[in-house]
Amino acid sequence: MSRKRKPQITITVDGVEIGCEEGVMLHDAAKDGDVEIPVFCYEPKLGDPVGACRMCLVEIEGIPKLQTSCSTPVRDGMVVYTQNDRVKEAQNAVVEFLLVNHPLDCPVCDKGGECPLQDISMGWGEGKSRVTDPKRHFQKPIPLSPLIKIDRERCILCYRCVRFSQEVAEDEQLQLLERGPKTFVGTYNDRPYVAPFHGNIIELCPVGALTSQAYRFRARPWDIEDAGSVCTLCPSQCNVKFTVRDEGVVRVLGRDNEEVDDGWLCDKGRFGYQMFSSGDRPTSPQIREGGALREASWDEALEHAARGLTEAHGKVAAIVGGGASNEEAYLLQRIVRGPLASTDVTGGAHAALPAAARRALADPSLAVSTSQIDDANAILVVGTDPMHEMPILELRIRKAVRRRGADLLVATERPTALDGGSAVGTSGCLEAKRYAPGAAADFLEELVGEVREGESEFAKALTGADDAVVVWGESVTAGPDGERAAAALLALAAELDLAGQESGGLYEVPADANGRGIREAGASQNTGPGLTDAPAGRSAAEIRDALESGELEALILWDVDPVRDFDEPEAWSRAIGASNFTLSASMFGNASGQNADVHLPAETHAEKEGTVTHPDGRLQRVRPSIPHPGNAGPLWQALTGLSAKLGDETGAGTAQEVFELLEQDSPLYSGMTYDTIGGTGQRWQESGGAIEGAIEGGAPEGGPSPAAPEPAAGALRLGTYHDLWADYVSERNPALEFLSPDQTVELSEATAKSLGVGNGTEVIVTGDNDRSLRAHVAVRHRIPDDVCFLIEGTRENAANLLSGASTVTIAEAPPEPEEEQTFGTSEREKVEW
Amino acid sequence: MPETRMLFRHIDDPELRTLEGYKRRGGYAALEEVMRLREPEELLSELEQCGLRGRGGAGFSMGKKAGFLPRGEMQKYLCCNADESEPGTFKDRELMWKNPHQLIEGIAIAGIAADTTKAFIFIRGEYAEVGDVLDEAVAEAYEAGLLGEGILGSKETVDLVVHRGAGAYICGEETALLDSLEGKRGNPRLKPPFPAIQGLYGGPTLINNVETLMNVPHVVNNGADWFKSFGTEQSTGTKVVSVSGCVKRPGNYEVELGIPSRELIYDLAGGPIQGEVKAWYPGGSSAPVLGPEELDLPYTFEDMADAGSMLGSGAIIVADESVSIPHMALRTARFYHHESCGKCTPCREGTNWTVKMLERVVRGEATPMDLDIIASVQENIIGHCLCVLGDAMAMPVASMVKRWRGEFEETIAKAREAAPAPLDAEPAIATPIGVGA
Repeated sequence: MSRKRKPQITITVDGVEIGCEEGVMLHDAAKDGDVEIPVFCYEPKLGDPVGACRMCLVEIEGIPKLQTSCSTPVRDGMVVYTQNDRVKEAQNAVVEFLLVNHPLDCPVCDKGGECPLQDISMGWGEGKSRVTDPKRHFQKPIPLSPLIKIDRERCILCYRCVRFSQEVAEDEQLQLLERGPKTFVGTYNDRPYVAPFHGNIIELCPVGALTSQAYRFRARPWDIEDAGSVCTLCPSQCNVKFTVRDEGVVRVLGRDNEEVDDGWLCDKGRFGYQMFSSGDRPTSPQIREGGALREASWDEALEHAARGLTEAHGKVAAIVGGGASNEEAYLLQRIVRGPLASTDVTGGAHAALPAAARRALADPSLAVSTSQIDDANAILVVGTDPMHEMPILELRIRKAVRRRGADLLVATERPTALDGGSAVGTSGCLEAKRYAPGAAADFLEELVGEVREGESEFAKALTGADDAVVVWGESVTAGPDGERAAAALLALAAELDLAGQESGGLYEVPADANGRGIREAGASQNTGPGLTDAPAGRSAAEIRDALESGELEALILWDVDPVRDFDEPEAWSRAIGASNFTLSASMFGNASGQNADVHLPAETHAEKEGTVTHPDGRLQRVRPSIPHPGNAGPLWQALTGLSAKLGDETGAGTAQEVFELLEQDSPLYSGMTYDTIGGTGQRWQESGGAIEGAIEGGAPEGGPSPAAPEPAAGALRLGTYHDLWADYVSERNPALEFLSPDQTVELSEATAKSLGVGNGTEVIVTGDNDRSLRAHVAVRHRIPDDVCFLIEGTRENAANLLSGASTVTIAEAPPEPEEEQTFGTSEREKVEW
Repeated sequence: MPETRMLFRHIDDPELRTLEGYKRRGGYAALEEVMRLREPEELLSELEQCGLRGRGGAGFSMGKKAGFLPRGEMQKYLCCNADESEPGTFKDRELMWKNPHQLIEGIAIAGIAADTTKAFIFIRGEYAEVGDVLDEAVAEAYEAGLLGEGILGSKETVDLVVHRGAGAYICGEETALLDSLEGKRGNPRLKPPFPAIQGLYGGPTLINNVETLMNVPHVVNNGADWFKSFGTEQSTGTKVVSVSGCVKRPGNYEVELGIPSRELIYDLAGGPIQGEVKAWYPGGSSAPVLGPEELDLPYTFEDMADAGSMLGSGAIIVADESVSIPHMALRTARFYHHESCGKCTPCREGTNWTVKMLERVVRGEATPMDLDIIASVQENIIGHCLCVLGDAMAMPVASMVKRWRGEFEETIAKAREAAPAPLDAEPAIATPIGVGA
């Protein structure tokens, strides 16, 4: 974005003058001038061109040999021919060469009909073959990973998948093996290629060599339609294109948006579509009658809900989950704060920061867009592991480090994938620091001091950068020291003068997919729409206690599962049980909603209409791509209906009109409409949005909390982390189920040795509050010796069972005869290798 | 005309291999001279003026190439290309085996001239014993202060590492050599950027052949004018020529560039074994094949180029009347098919397809039409590849099909007569290859 524009020049391609920026690749310049030059290996997203396929040869006046247009930067006055006899001969030759070994099995090939090799053969090839010799043979198709099959006979060795693995995801797993015409794509020792972004290679493949296990033979290109939307399974909010056949989603592809995702998707977004058509999904509103849920009409269900909520006489609370759209969050807070006359509406598991601090952190001058990370000289990742919490951000950071030489600094409780830096030849991660679980505020305060003193290398990398981006996870401000951490973040920003930097600033990774949108729409305990002041309400934990004590009588659970995901699961079960009336909306049945009095079927992001807000402030539209199943319907409509039944007629008849209401109430989104947001989104910081209300929070009172005591002998500090695959998505999509983790306790080598346990040992982890759970040991490098880590949100033995424990002891579990039943479900699919 | 020995002077003295023996024969005088008297700029201009052309194959002016390296405070590298893998070429092997210090001296001087403080010798893995000789010589040179920090007490530094290749012809291609040296798969890189600007680990890199670097001490000792007094105007100096194939005395002969090719083959190498010369590769197996008509051409870069071939690495392979040209074409093509790295399409598929077609030619399963296809495929390869490996097969094969087309047709006819393929024969199915079979 902020890169300096180079001078405009003019080149001549096939007799037509084209204006372009100096130094862009000839292929791209020609494309802008509507001249298509065929390519296979060239893909700017993958980095520098390799010039391997030779498909894009063109003649340039003054250069005797034909040149690859993908790797030739344009110069002023360049005269290029892409269609003369000499170039045509070369193009024919390359197409012919590519087909020497390519099987002509197009009629049974998944790629047939949307295949660049087909298109280029027809467009730039001779149309006939002179090859009579036998082609090469491989075993085919064989699994490259549990999600991808590889057909090596079809492979034209364009290098794209290998370059993705080595230069974008940097997992380095895919390699070219053998050489010459025997070359093939594979992994070391035929190991399965398991990596969180590997699905992208399917989309990169210009032939049918890499196919999705889940999509193979499900549809042909003429059976399908594309529908653009946004994935709301994590805060990355990648732009996607659903492949729709017979009103069902059969595939998810990336929809290039340089400002959001660079065209990449993680495997969760790519393969997490099977759940849309799951038979387990409730597809109708349900009401509880005589102890059991029965299907009901929308009108009946909403009537029932309105009555139940009204009877609580203001003692109502609502918790909004990360999958909700801005419209839903807005309507929910409006209903709770309006007709239900309560102040208790909140999003997320943790107490909100004071409104002033929240507003200060959202200050547009401190904000950076996602694409500005490309231009940062230094990136500090603190308190988040992007691979697990916002996967596509990890690729963005790797790109900045690898291609632009940004300095990367990491400071987290648990080691991250970014610590290892990237491959040889790049600057990689300068330094990775560890702080004790819960000590983010202490770390940040110390860092602010170091930056002031300018002594440590860590601090120098930040102060020396023209543009520094601080990527911070919401967990940093979630604990008891959250306020202090927020103040330290702001102090760091001030010390580094991030506000004055062009591409520097703070970048928050929210804990929930639409965490930012929900907060900015007003579903927060102390702020209303647009982060304006609102009467203080209860946090999630306070709501739980109030329900148990009877201070609250009714509960709205909107796409959220506190029993699984929040602290104190048992207390939550009791609290929900104590609620006189519960309205829940969820995509699948869950532990929290099983006693609901009214249950509404939640929409998937393929069905929903509405907006979500990206962590960098970009509003994006989620668009309905397929019809709602059964009697399910839009949730925004359910909420306007509920509001009307409660006596507040919103007057909104479409999702767009709900957004207009939000826009009127929120100074941040002022002036935005569905049209201005459009297909690629719009950042409110760039469209006139402004923050209203005080931002001077001042430093919180009280110094640092007393340092956590050293763990007792034999005990370890307990850290927990969010695992990308530990949630309902991997459990509800058969393709991803193999990734759904069982609880593991991560230990350092030394700790494991001293405990006499090894990888896979089953242990019982007991907290200092005497709560315990079972887990399998995973020995990991780089884990500090005095800490162990557990996964949040696993389907059994989730870390929240130990809520309140700060240290734990670990002992080998006594053998259990029915051990198999304890972990995982028996119907779990086995992946054959 | 006898040999003109410059690099080969005293080559048969077994002591030459040691530092002491080399010094006794006047070795390292040039390096000492450079330390005392010469500025890098002066050295560079001398190397350019002497007209020394690269002996590895491309024949580019060594001095010019060294001059392309940017000046300034960055890490620059010197790589000696000792991956001598071109069929028919074995000159560097003998030079390094018998006179390793001359190479080390050349590297040290070139390193100082081009301000490259880190140098590598990339030697093909198959030259295991030669590698050992180099290791010993390098150790000796370090011991004597001729390499490393502060050469001969000066401020100059040249560190030298001998690196053994892993057995790939392509690693003789300069950019593939760099990738291999960096620990990557040895595949050629896209040029530009040329190694002189962005080479090893991204730094400016000078890459020279063994023989080229060995000429450097002689240029320094005797001056550019003396050097230019050998050879022709465009091909100065001497050349170690490897003569092999159907000759009575195969071996390395150092001659002044410009002597008639016939003298090399008939006088020095003893002439063909059976009858007359039928065909000859003038510069390694990648050079288009010449016939008896070209035997009287002077052996120079320019005359070989004018004749439609190239002097290349200076390796003459002679085929006498006993040799079947189609079989020679197949043998040549198979080599490049085996060695193609597979990165770019025309080379990977072109070598593969050509071999299949030539195999049909010698089996008698081809028609004259296939000869047209073979010729056209070679044209489609030439100039379309990422590096010159594809051209290295296409040029000789194309030259053979063109010049000896009649013999190709006869070969097909004879082979078909000998083993007629039934018209309803099952087509040959390639054996499945792959993983986990």
